[in-house]
Amino acid sequence: MRSHRPPFWVRTVPVAFGALCLVAVLALVEVLVATGTINPFIVPRPSDVLLSFTRIIAEERVLPRFMLTCGEALVASVMLSVVGIAAGVLLHRHRIVRLATETWVAALASAPLVLMYPLFLVIFGRSVWTIIMIAFVSALPPVILKTLEGLTGTRAALINVGRSFRLTPSQLYWKILFPAALPTIFVGVRLGMIYALINIVGVEFLINFGGLGQLVNELAERYDLPGTYAAICFVILVSVLFFIGTERIERWLRPGT
Amino acid sequence: MPTAEPILVVENIVKRFETQDGVLVAVDDVSFTVAPGEFLSVIGPSGCGKSTLFNIIGGLMDGYEGRAAVGGETIRGPHASIGMIFQEESTFPWRTVIDNVAFPLEIAGLAKAERLDRARHFVELVGLSGFERRYPSELSGGMRQRVSMARTLASEPKILLMDEPFAALDEQTRLLLGDKVLQIQQELKQTTLLITHNLTEAVQLSDRILVMTYRPGKLKRMVEIKLPRPRSSEIVGSDDFGRYVAQIWNDLREEASRGLKDDEARMVRRGS
Amino acid sequence: MAQAGHLTGSRATRGPWPGPVTRLRIAIIVTIIVVWELVAASGLLLRDVVPSIGVVGRSLFELLTQPDLKWPVDFSLGGFHFAHEFVVPGFYWHLYVTIAEVTVAMVIGGIAGLAVGLLLGANPFMSQAFERYLYYLGPTPKIVFFPVMIMWFGVGPESKIAMGTLSCFFPIALNVAAGMREIDSVLIRVGRSFRLSAWQMVGKIYLPAMREPIINGIRIGMGVALIGTLLAETKLSNKGVGFLIIDAYNTFDMPRMYAVLAMLFVIAIGANALLGRASRR
Repeated sequence: MRSHRPPFWVRTVPVAFGALCLVAVLALVEVLVATGTINPFIVPRPSDVLLSFTRIIAEERVLPRFMLTCGEALVASVMLSVVGIAAGVLLHRHRIVRLATETWVAALASAPLVLMYPLFLVIFGRSVWTIIMIAFVSALPPVILKTLEGLTGTRAALINVGRSFRLTPSQLYWKILFPAALPTIFVGVRLGMIYALINIVGVEFLINFGGLGQLVNELAERYDLPGTYAAICFVILVSVLFFIGTERIERWLRPGT
Repeated sequence: MPTAEPILVVENIVKRFETQDGVLVAVDDVSFTVAPGEFLSVIGPSGCGKSTLFNIIGGLMDGYEGRAAVGGETIRGPHASIGMIFQEESTFPWRTVIDNVAFPLEIAGLAKAERLDRARHFVELVGLSGFERRYPSELSGGMRQRVSMARTLASEPKILLMDEPFAALDEQTRLLLGDKVLQIQQELKQTTLLITHNLTEAVQLSDRILVMTYRPGKLKRMVEIKLPRPRSSEIVGSDDFGRYVAQIWNDLREEASRGLKDDEARMVRRGS
Repeated sequence: MAQAGHLTGSRATRGPWPGPVTRLRIAIIVTIIVVWELVAASGLLLRDVVPSIGVVGRSLFELLTQPDLKWPVDFSLGGFHFAHEFVVPGFYWHLYVTIAEVTVAMVIGGIAGLAVGLLLGANPFMSQAFERYLYYLGPTPKIVFFPVMIMWFGVGPESKIAMGTLSCFFPIALNVAAGMREIDSVLIRVGRSFRLSAWQMVGKIYLPAMREPIINGIRIGMGVALIGTLLAETKLSNKGVGFLIIDAYNTFDMPRMYAVLAMLFVIAIGANALLGRASRR
């Protein structure tokens, strides 16, 4: 049940220490760049980066870019979930299809699928669809595999309970197999969503089109050093928030955990 | 003992398995009957085929010779009149206690209000009132087994079939749950078939005990437990109790040591 | 399916060959090929976007066998002097460049990840202080750091190696840290009871006990290092497999792009499978 938690101060000291170290490193960098020890044309002063945040937000339309990236991520995520879960269920229901294709899906999961982006560029042009499709394709295999894993991993005891109550195959599926598999399925969907976002921003950067990823590229090409660093920070921030957010949802989906 | 028509009839069950060590006879020509309202335990050492028997009577296993019938109908798959309680953790972790217990009623198509109402009665029966909205992960092992029990009881089976339901629990919890089981059984007049390897538990709860031999599992002995009813866990201290335990203990020890020797021989054979 | 009860896997089936699983696989592959050819012939997409399989095959053959790259070799050893200009299929040279970049990236990232992981795993204070940064920085698009890498390391292979290193550092460090914590504490106590030095603890207790999480981390690390390096090559490089892909795009040589992609996937999947086998042994 409830684990015994160490007292408040034991928990916060290391966290504070870590944060302080980070600040100390930034301060050190600030000093080194200000004195010219580190070439200011390669590493900007952290304070300059901080100052450029407001400039970037105002001038570079960060909010619309953010919305665009989010929109791409949303569409890709929905496609991922629907197709991935459906494929996983299909593979689970029809054993022979699973035996034939599971190793193929596993192999694709380990291949650098995102490298197909030039191909998608040709097919879809420099548009959001290139970005969405490449994210969809490259993040699909883990969703399928995790769905399959969740369904096959249902404990025999739970299935036996269903059998002892003489459930029809359909009832067995919807009332026992699927709910039991849901936590694992969501782990897969979450993994897929995270890969998708990473690839979306990455491809935006590479093809110089889209939202936040493109911002980094543009500022880099303009040699706006503090701006580039600031844009990278934005990207990291969005990524981290997305990661934490999906983590919360995952925890919410497992009641009592 | 009541001379009423037996509710469960097991006739000449033989079950063989193919293993890497050859053909294994798990259950060898086992026959017995269970009368309505009776509490029967089947006891034996590990490897005596009692779990196989459990799965056969429960309709989860086929490919055996012989016949099992409940209320005259041959068992050909899980029977509606038989409720099973498993040894492993079997509550649905995604449902609350009340939703777990209401599960068979949901399957039977009862309306929500009615099934929750009925389920509440069984939750109370196993002593978990107040925990209806909790999730199994918030409960102890013993409480979860009680939820499984309530769930099975909610389907109001004619025969309750249990396979070492308390195996994963500590001794004190077992005794207390044993009390609960006794209480429930006495209240519902529930016909119960308990598979166990725990002698104290068997003597505490049963009207009759069937002792099985080590593989191939045959019926070694049938012992009538003439301890007074209603019983409670205090009976464990009585002289009569001790006598029954001692009597059956000898049989079990013999079979258990046969099992040990056989295991060792098998390891030696595999290693060579 | 009536036969479902007898299916135990294509290897185990001792029935008539080809078994039902193999038949289904062949059917799937044939269907894909047929649909591909139809799309290629119909001109549904721009005609050359989906070239016929034959054309791709020929391009693949040329890619692997047609010498189109001059590779001058010139070295002296004592009184022995050797100079020759080999002409080889360029693909192998570009492949060598990418593999070299990824390997160096993995060595650097691996050692750094191992060291940091060991530290975080062994010391709960450090773990609570710093591990969260690794954990949250891990799943981010590292490619956006590429402009910074170019500024720091130039436009040559060093910046690609830096991308690869940055990518694989995180999964390796996190896996090693988690693996450390999962070591059965009794093994650590055994080591302490023999009064092993820190290095000995690492070499004789920690590393052997963590073989599986380490190999797993390396496997993931290799995957992301490869992606990071390749993507960097597509952005700014004149060598490597990534360059070949973007070069095919720039010259609109679609069959070549498919050929390079196919080779890349085969190699990547193969390497991953080999590592997988190593971890299971």
